[in-house]
Amino acid sequence: MPHLNTKEDLEIMGKQLLLDREKINKTIIMCGGTGCTASRSRDVIDALNKELVIQEMDNEVHVRVTGCHGFCEQGPIAVIEPGNIFYCHINPEDAHDIVTKTVKNGEIIERLLYTDPVSGEKVCKESEIPFYKAQDRKLLFQNREVNPQSIEDYIAIGGFTALAKALDTLAPEEIIREIKISGLRGRGGGGFPTWRKWMECHEAPVDEKYVICNADEGDPGAYMDRCVLEGNPYLVIEGMLIGAYAIGATRGYIYVRNEYPLAVRHARNAVQQARRYGLLGENILGSSFSFDIDVARGGGAFVCGESTALMASLEGKVGEPRPKDVHTVVDGLWHKPTTLNNVETWANVPSIILKGASWFNSKGTRGSKGTKILALTGRIKNTGLVEVAMGTTIRHIVYDIGGGATNGKAIKAVQTGGPSGGCLSVDKFDLPVDFDVLYEAGSMVGSGGMVVMDESSCMVDVAKYFLTFLQDESCGKCVPCRLGIDRMLEIVTDITEGRGTLEQLELLEDLADTVTQTALCGLGKTAANPVLSTLRYFREEYEAHIIDNKCPAGVCKALIEYYIDPEKCTGCGTCKQACIHNAITGEKKEVHVINTDLCQKCGICRSECKFEAIQVS
Amino acid sequence: MKSLKMESILNGRSSQPHQLIEVLQDVQETYGYIPEEAMKEISEKLGVLLIEVYRVASFYKAFKLKPSGKYVITICNGTACHVRGANLLLDQAVSQLGIKPGEITDDGLFSIEHVNCLGACALGPIASENGNLGHHMTPAKLRKFIDSIRRKEREEVVNASPQY
Amino acid sequence: MLYYVNININGADIKAPKGSSVLEVAIEYGICIPHLCHVPGLSDIGACRLCIVENITNGRATITTSCTLKVQEGMIIRTNTDRIKRLRHNIAELLVAEAPNSRAIQDIAVRCGVKEVRYPFRNGDCVLCGRCVRACSEIWHANALGFIGRGKERHVERPLNMREEYCKGCDYCLQLCPMTVPPCDGPMKPGEEYLCGKCESQLMITEDIPESCVWCRLGEGFNCGRYAGLKTVR
Repeated sequence: MPHLNTKEDLEIMGKQLLLDREKINKTIIMCGGTGCTASRSRDVIDALNKELVIQEMDNEVHVRVTGCHGFCEQGPIAVIEPGNIFYCHINPEDAHDIVTKTVKNGEIIERLLYTDPVSGEKVCKESEIPFYKAQDRKLLFQNREVNPQSIEDYIAIGGFTALAKALDTLAPEEIIREIKISGLRGRGGGGFPTWRKWMECHEAPVDEKYVICNADEGDPGAYMDRCVLEGNPYLVIEGMLIGAYAIGATRGYIYVRNEYPLAVRHARNAVQQARRYGLLGENILGSSFSFDIDVARGGGAFVCGESTALMASLEGKVGEPRPKDVHTVVDGLWHKPTTLNNVETWANVPSIILKGASWFNSKGTRGSKGTKILALTGRIKNTGLVEVAMGTTIRHIVYDIGGGATNGKAIKAVQTGGPSGGCLSVDKFDLPVDFDVLYEAGSMVGSGGMVVMDESSCMVDVAKYFLTFLQDESCGKCVPCRLGIDRMLEIVTDITEGRGTLEQLELLEDLADTVTQTALCGLGKTAANPVLSTLRYFREEYEAHIIDNKCPAGVCKALIEYYIDPEKCTGCGTCKQACIHNAITGEKKEVHVINTDLCQKCGICRSECKFEAIQVS
Repeated sequence: MKSLKMESILNGRSSQPHQLIEVLQDVQETYGYIPEEAMKEISEKLGVLLIEVYRVASFYKAFKLKPSGKYVITICNGTACHVRGANLLLDQAVSQLGIKPGEITDDGLFSIEHVNCLGACALGPIASENGNLGHHMTPAKLRKFIDSIRRKEREEVVNASPQY
Repeated sequence: MLYYVNININGADIKAPKGSSVLEVAIEYGICIPHLCHVPGLSDIGACRLCIVENITNGRATITTSCTLKVQEGMIIRTNTDRIKRLRHNIAELLVAEAPNSRAIQDIAVRCGVKEVRYPFRNGDCVLCGRCVRACSEIWHANALGFIGRGKERHVERPLNMREEYCKGCDYCLQLCPMTVPPCDGPMKPGEEYLCGKCESQLMITEDIPESCVWCRLGEGFNCGRYAGLKTVR
């Protein structure tokens, strides 16, 4: 690998690589992200490669294995160029047909096409898929262009030219100004104006500074950062380089959570490749700027997503947050000025520098600019990663992109921002994805998790779920978080088990307010949000549990009973076999009966019954 | 034997306390848990107080202080998986194996882990075994999977026993 | 050479030595800010959150723990606003519900105005104030105690059960632990916990000037920074 000593070297190399790329006639883009890998995409990739060799086409057809495209439920996914043909749910056995029919002859294999769940029609081209079309995929789109293990791919499509431009033509203060005008705000949850962080750190009169990429994506239900880091680690590295130059940092860390082994591998590999090209190290691209990155793994703690806890973890200590009376941009990692930003924040930086701040801030609302990647999951037809311009309404995301409810049940709520966020009811769906608007409404954009819930979810149970999660992840140092969350959970559990009182609701609100105001770190400070937002928008459900002793969604075990509808039961015996508490009796072909004394309402039987004969009262 | 492995893990990391988490991760990968002896060696070599090594090992979920089973069934309890019924999988695993999360079956074959989000949310509910993710899991699929492992293990025992 | 900065606490202009915390300064000047995990001479960790105050900057009040807040020129602090009183009350309530079997915790609850406990009592034997851990590490550097585990599982333990190898027998952990002095009426059996509140009569003296220190015997139970016979640990 040649060492790139100047901006011109980079340009020349980029041009050459692009020419080489364009020489290839046909490309099969295969998604190799974690999701598709779980659906056995590796086997498909192997099968395709074998098939190409057998048909002696391996020289003219290139199989590009990329990172996550965001449409995981449809995996394994392939896109065949030219023709932009999109195939999904591919099996290794399909490889022969794909190569023979589509790659060789341009024929379309109907059974592999995507069927739009809303219209019921088959879609042939990737660019026409409604799920993609309704989005604004500025960052995600790059994933299909790049093999995450090949820095050459990234350079071919213009990678690192933003860095070259920054080093060559912009002074650090100008870069910070550009970020300021762009309006970029932190994508990790805080929504803090990125330029202010950079500015304060830049001004700290200390020589040794650090930048950190927070890839400790702990929000359950969120995997945007995994997708970006796994799929295009070079983009993140370029962002960090530009930021480090602007701030005056000489060393950077990418802190990846332990549960993302593929992201760790790709990041480490990317750093090594960048070093070999001289894009990390001394005198980058012939400038006086030197910078290098280390990739560190987390140990498995949600709290390490908090900046001071993450820094403690990098120092080899427990991830216990510390008071932020002095900001980390002044006193951070090893007590040096440190700028910590989220993966997606860093990923946005190169395009701001290359295309300009006004390009970025032309999208979005007054307070929230640019695009945001959301993890849209839950009870809707299309789930996956979705990138939209800030200001897009929740309604558009849930219905136009998500395709609306699945299973015919009515959508009830959307939970945004992970455990630090809150639930919003359907009448709030016209709210835009905007940091300040969602915050006012009692939730937050957070890192971008968006879980859609329907009437089969009990909102009190949802509050209980998040409190349980936070209790498990709390570091335990401070009283409001450790004891406060515990007591909130105790009260909510009482309510779900039919022991709740209205006085407890008042106490819950008082306690929630106390925890929010007195906790030491962000985890504690936002811990009450799930409770407060569900109380705000779904108070009737709480009251139903307390006053009527009913769980309207049929979830809270103490308040429901399972029974078998004799009209629907066929006596197949599936439920009897599945029941782990031996609570079901019945002879073959005769109506089965549930013994409610033994029944623990675990729900396994209900999930197995093909006739929907098991009902909840 | 143990000391040789520990030596290679600690090699080049002498007196570097900030490497503690990386070292513990290597130990966890090698032994499947963090033995007490290992903690003492780490304390000495890295120059970290023993109480601090113990503290870090007990704080992070990645580190187990007790050995795990040969097959670790990890069930994801992230929001998306939860909404799709992850607790059914947990109930199934707990009842089928007779142990709670964090415990190990008497024959040392299985243990159950309950984690907060593996990042494959669109494919939930997820149950994984030693890194292999099973998606859209149902209690029935899980039951069959555990049974198949049990069968495989029994066959291996039969095959391994001396033939007369 | 000691440098001083000028700060304002509850309307009073105070000269504070640079490098000291707001809590230290307040105690020195006889302003009572309830606290638990602070011990003069040991590091401050801001864990109990009782010592919270309002730090007024640019017209906005930020709530922060006074033990970790270092004094700065021109600082304006309010220690006893209605909001702070309510928050402190709730935190003390949580503490006494968790561990009522301690004179110190009961005293703190009374001092913070807790008159009824709205949670079911638990008979915990450790409030994780961290005094023992810090004393063990910072006085004789024995490092025989530490916080092990996370969240609800967090507890104080020896390094791998090795006591003799590390403990130097200085007994500071026992002297500083708030749980070693039982409530005035004696130890409470599980299931028979209650809020004592007997010292309320003490409180009547202080209700007129709630933030003033009256050398109350309430501080005795937990070696309050001002009262302590053990004024500084070193």
